[in-house]
Parts: sequence; C-alpha cells; structure tokens
Amino acid sequence: MQNNITTKQHFAFFIVIYLFFLSGCQSTPANKNAILLAQQGEFESAKQTIRADYSATGKSKLLHYLELGMLNHLQGNYQLSNQQLTQAQQIIEEQYTISVSESALALLSGPSFTTYAGKVYHRPLINFYKALNYNALANQPNADRQSFLDSALVEMRQLDTYLSGLKDTTGGYDDEEQPSGLDQLTEQIDNLTRPLFAPNDLLKDIEYKDDAFAHYVSGILFERSQELDSARIQYQRAIQAFENGFAKQYDINPTVISQIKKDLIRVMEMAGGYSNEVAQLKSELEIATSQTAQPILNILQDVGIGPQRKQFNLLLNVDEEAKALVMTPILWGTRREQQAQMRWFQMLYADTSIFDLIQNYATGDISDVVMGGLTKRIPLGPLWDDAVDIGLISALQYGSRISVTYLEPLKQEIERSEVWVGDQKVANLDKIYSVSLLTLQDALNNANSEIQIALAREIVKSLTAQKAISATGLDASFSGFAKLATSVVNAVTASADLRQWHSLPAQINYVQLPVSKGEHTITLKTYLASGIVLEQSETIQVVDDVTLWHTRTFLQETRIETPDSTFL
Amino acid sequence: MKCNKTLLKLTPLFVACTLAVSGCSSTKVQRVDANQEVALSDKWNAKDSQLVAEAMINDMLSFPWVNDHLQKEGSKPAIIIQSVRNKSHQHIAVDTFLNDLKRSILRSGQADFVANKDVRKEIRDERKDQELNSSLDSQNEMGQEYGADYALSGTINSFVDEQGGDRVTFYQVDLRLIDMTTNREVWNGQKKIQKLQERSRFGF
Repeated sequence: MQNNITTKQHFAFFIVIYLFFLSGCQSTPANKNAILLAQQGEFESAKQTIRADYSATGKSKLLHYLELGMLNHLQGNYQLSNQQLTQAQQIIEEQYTISVSESALALLSGPSFTTYAGKVYHRPLINFYKALNYNALANQPNADRQSFLDSALVEMRQLDTYLSGLKDTTGGYDDEEQPSGLDQLTEQIDNLTRPLFAPNDLLKDIEYKDDAFAHYVSGILFERSQELDSARIQYQRAIQAFENGFAKQYDINPTVISQIKKDLIRVMEMAGGYSNEVAQLKSELEIATSQTAQPILNILQDVGIGPQRKQFNLLLNVDEEAKALVMTPILWGTRREQQAQMRWFQMLYADTSIFDLIQNYATGDISDVVMGGLTKRIPLGPLWDDAVDIGLISALQYGSRISVTYLEPLKQEIERSEVWVGDQKVANLDKIYSVSLLTLQDALNNANSEIQIALAREIVKSLTAQKAISATGLDASFSGFAKLATSVVNAVTASADLRQWHSLPAQINYVQLPVSKGEHTITLKTYLASGIVLEQSETIQVVDDVTLWHTRTFLQETRIETPDSTFL
Repeated sequence: MKCNKTLLKLTPLFVACTLAVSGCSSTKVQRVDANQEVALSDKWNAKDSQLVAEAMINDMLSFPWVNDHLQKEGSKPAIIIQSVRNKSHQHIAVDTFLNDLKRSILRSGQADFVANKDVRKEIRDERKDQELNSSLDSQNEMGQEYGADYALSGTINSFVDEQGGDRVTFYQVDLRLIDMTTNREVWNGQKKIQKLQERSRFGF
C-alpha cells in the first residue's frame, strides 16, 4: 500500500515536472543582456557577459566573436574588433563542411547542440563592419592611411565574391518578374484564391538572395578610393537588386534608389565614356543639367537592437480514433507572447487551408474541423499499422514536446530620423536596410523545415527511449511511469535553436548630403513613436570628395557617453 | 515500408557509431621549417610571398637597366620602394612581401636600397639628436644622404572563381621600376599564382 502511494506521488511529481518542461523555459539570452548593457554604456560588463556565457571554443564560439567584435566596434577598439570579426568569418567558412557526427548527435538532442554557423546574411554584415573599422583606423592620427583604406576595399572584394556565390545559388534579383502566362482575369482570381489553397505560397520571395545595401556601401567605398569602374559596377548591382525585389522585400523607401542612380551618373561622368547611359538615367530622373562637383557626406545610422528569436512549444500526441498525429500549441509567457505564438501557429502550421479542413473532416469528426485553427493534424492513413508496429504510437502515449522558433510582431519604434545643421533641418534619413525584416523572413522561411526536423527528432527520441525501456524490462512493471519519465527527459532536451547575433541594429538609415570641405557639426534627431526625441551631434571634418559618417543610435533616453560613431 | 522500419531500428546504432568514430580531438603543435610551405587554405601565404619576390627580382635584374646604370654612373643603382598596393581580395601583409623583395635584391649584390620616407624621417631625427648629444667625432652630418636612382612600385591583384566547395584563386603581382631622372619605365614584371581549393560538403 505504502509502495503504491509512493509510486502515485512520484507519478504526480513527474506529471508536474513534465508539464513544466512542456512549456519550455523562456529567458533573455546572455548576448541580448550584453547589448542592453552596452546601450547603457557599460561595455566592459557587456564583454564580460559574452566571455562568461559564450566560450571561444564551444558550440557557440561564433557568437563569442560576433558579439565581442560588435561591442569593440561600438567602443572604438577597431583593431580588436577586426581581429574578432575575422575569427568569426573563419568559423563561418569552416562550417561549409557539415559534420555528420554532429548532425547525428543533434538528431538525438537538439539543434542547439550543433556548432552555430550563423545566418546567410551575417557574412556581408561582417565585411561591412570590418570595412567601417578599417576606415576609422585610417582616420586615426599617424595611421598608415592608404594601407587601411586598401584593407577596407579588401573587405568589399570579399563581399563581392560572397554575394556572387549567393546569387549563383539563389538566382539573385537579376530577372524581372516573369508573367505567369494566365490572362488578367484568371490571374486576379488565382491571386485571390492562392492563400486559401496554398498558404505556403505566401512565403515565397522572402529568401535572402542578394544584398543591395552591401553593393551600395561597396560602391561608396570604391568611389572614395577613386576606383571608378568598381564603384560603377557596385552601384549598378545595387540598383538592379533594389529595383527587382530587394526594396519591396525589405520595405525600403524608393528615394534610396533615386539617390544611387544619381551616384551612378556622377561616377560615369567622372570615368567618361558613358554618355548614352548617363543621358538615359538623367531623363529617367528628370535631371536637366550636369551636377556640379561638390563633396558629399553619406550618413549611415544604425538604429536600435534587432528582434529576438523566441521559443514556441507544441505538444505532439496521437489521436487513435482519427489515426493521426496531432500537434497542439502550448501557449506560454506574457499575454503579448501568447498572442504572438498563437498567430505564428495559425499563420504557418494550423489546419486552416481548405485542403487541411477537408482532410480533417475525412479522418476525424466535426470537432476536428472546428479545431482546425488550434491544431495541426498529420493523418497517418495506411502508415498507422507500421507506426503501431515500430512502437511509435506507444512511445507518444504521454505526448512529446516540439520546439520551434517564433518572433513577435515587429514594433514600429521609430517615426523618423532627421539631419540638422545648426538650427536648420536639412534632410530626412530613409531606411536602407532592415535587420528586423531579415530576421523575421529568415524565421518564416525556415519555419516549415524547422518543424519537420523537430518532429522527426522527437519521434526518433521517443522511439529510442521506447526501445531502451523494452530492453530493460521496465515496460512490463512500470510501463506508464517509465514512458512518462522518458517523455520528461525528451521534453527537457527539446529546444529550438534561438542563437542569434543580438548586437545587430534593428535597421540602418541613410542619407547623402552635398557639403563643402571643412568642419561641420551635424545633429541627428531620432523621433520615437513614444514621443521621445533622441539627439546625437558630431563634428565632422570633410577633407575628401566622398565622406561617410556612421553612427549607432540606441533607442533610449540617455545620451551615450562612450564613442558610438565612426567618422570616415 | 519494411525498409523504413529497419532504418528506424538502425538509427540509434548509426548515431552511436558516428559518435564513436568522431572520437576526441586534441591540440598539437610542432615546429616546422620556415621555408616549408604549410598551406591550410588558398590564402596568400609566406611561401607565395617568398617565391614571388625571388622570381620577380631575378627577372628585374636580368633586364639591361642594371648594366646601363653601371656603365653610365660607375656605381650600383640605388632603389627606393614607393608603394605596393594590395588590390586583392585577401588581407596581405605587404610589408612582409616588400622585405622579401629587399632581401632578394640585396642578396644579389647588384643594387642598393634607400630607406623609405618614414625610416628616413626617423634617421633624421636621430641625427638631430646626435648634433645635440653625441661627440663631434662620432656625429653623422646632415645633408649627406644617398638619393635613389630608381623607384619600385606595384600592385597585387586577385580574382576568385567559386562553385560549390571548389574555389580557384588567381593572384597577380605587377611591379614596375621607374628611372627617377627620366621617368622612363626600365622594367615591368609580372608574376601569377593560381590556387585550387577543394572542400568537402560532409565530414566527420
């Protein structure tokens, strides 16, 4: 009798623990905390946080170097920043070869047990920040200026090689949108019905295919070094990518494209031999006369902190009547987080298409159809008997946790940014790059494969545990208890890979101003949706024909005291 | 279907085997000859720098300008290195390459080198210091510097072609020697290096 009570108590305890682990744990990642510390000017604490939580040799070594590289960049330690970003480049390059042993281990543990290889859009950003560092070094007193400027261009050439490879793989933005072959009415009907029949089709055109912003920055740096052919090519590539999809995909203001076309005209006129192309561009932009040669100041403003990837859990169990696997979201966290989790689930996974509803109707009952928006069902059909034979149905008796990534809807924190000289506003800054949208679209793009891999992993884990229980003979005596225990263990190890480069800005703003050579005091005013206005001032010496001022604006009230801008 | 079941049964065994094969790794360091090439990647390395410097200087000294200068001036030509710009896609330690160039020329004994602008400035500061602090008999006079007869400059360029795991990297070093009196280009040399790097998509 006593034994029976103890067993029941243990059983109840395990159920509580299991439910806890099913919900998963949500905490702020260390590298997010680090950039929040940096936002307050506490750079040393931020770097200590990174060193403590991300080893230079562990599975997340890439984050160690990426985060330290960015923190040192913000702190003005440009040489050190470049050493760390170079290490990061090398780690990414090494990850080209996929480790079979590590992949196998991930199959029994989770994706966070693999070496973090970064995202496809990280490489251009590493080159970008390294180039900014080299240019800042070139402007330091007694520096070997030419050598550092050459090094900045080396980064741009590496970037070009990388983007060429990326375009070979993805197709880039080279082609204009091809007509579908349908007549106009049919195409309109097709557009209206497409979301109903194939929700996944909505996820098309969100792949990172090329980087128009990176091409543009390359163009600016090549023009600065009077490498006019390289500058022209990069401006042309930037225009092509922006016009053929990049601007639409990342919500970039079209004024940026007009600006690049003006830059292209200037470079072509300087190089000579492009009179037809220049005339065509001028006619397009309605420019009557040649621009007078005047020094230009390019302002790049990194704003805010990129969005955080979060974990969203689903319970995987079996509906024996419908002979189907059923995934149900486990909503957890704040009200806003729970709403975001449900919307993410309904947007990407839930049985909301007509096909899914018919399938549910055919295999289940009316309630399954009604529940469509709250569950995802995978009918096994003729595979059901095999699933029973291999022990899958038994293994999932107490369910299993599947974890995937989600992002909360992006908040529009910035209303506008302005450039002021003295008491006069001279221009607005426009968004030219959105790390927020890159992060979101990457998560959306990987959502299907992520859940498929997570589903396969949890099934393999459950089956392996089931075999182990059978082998030890526990199956006969403590069947339910043992299965629940293994479900708890599986729930503990099931986690989505939430690793990300957290110190990146949410977006980058840009404007180009004609200036005279000499000293200028520029003020950036950033108007937040909350009504707060952030002001940053910098005295800039314009000595060259092309100058670049780069700064970071954290969305907080207090002025940042530490160096936060890179005057190029 | 039976095949699927067998596959599922074998999965844990497969995982265990791969983990066993992956084994443990450790760090090992050994001394190697500085002249021995250790190519871990297709990047520009010390051996490239050494080979290019030797080949280009051999070529430079085989041109008629050396003998012409000797006959005309009766002394070895003095060369100054102006700049070698890195226009490649790799960060190349240009100073190391320049030092390899200087060593090759000095070893040949057919030409002298004049210190560059920064070094000259340091030496002049040192001579000024000598004027104040050194004994008269050990002081070096100002205005006795040896002027360069020829200026050496050039560029390092590269192209990369990449497909999947294969990458061909092509480096081209162009150097030219200018007569500082007449601005005549007395020598123009070129050396090309091509490297192929093959990477496997999968490994243990």
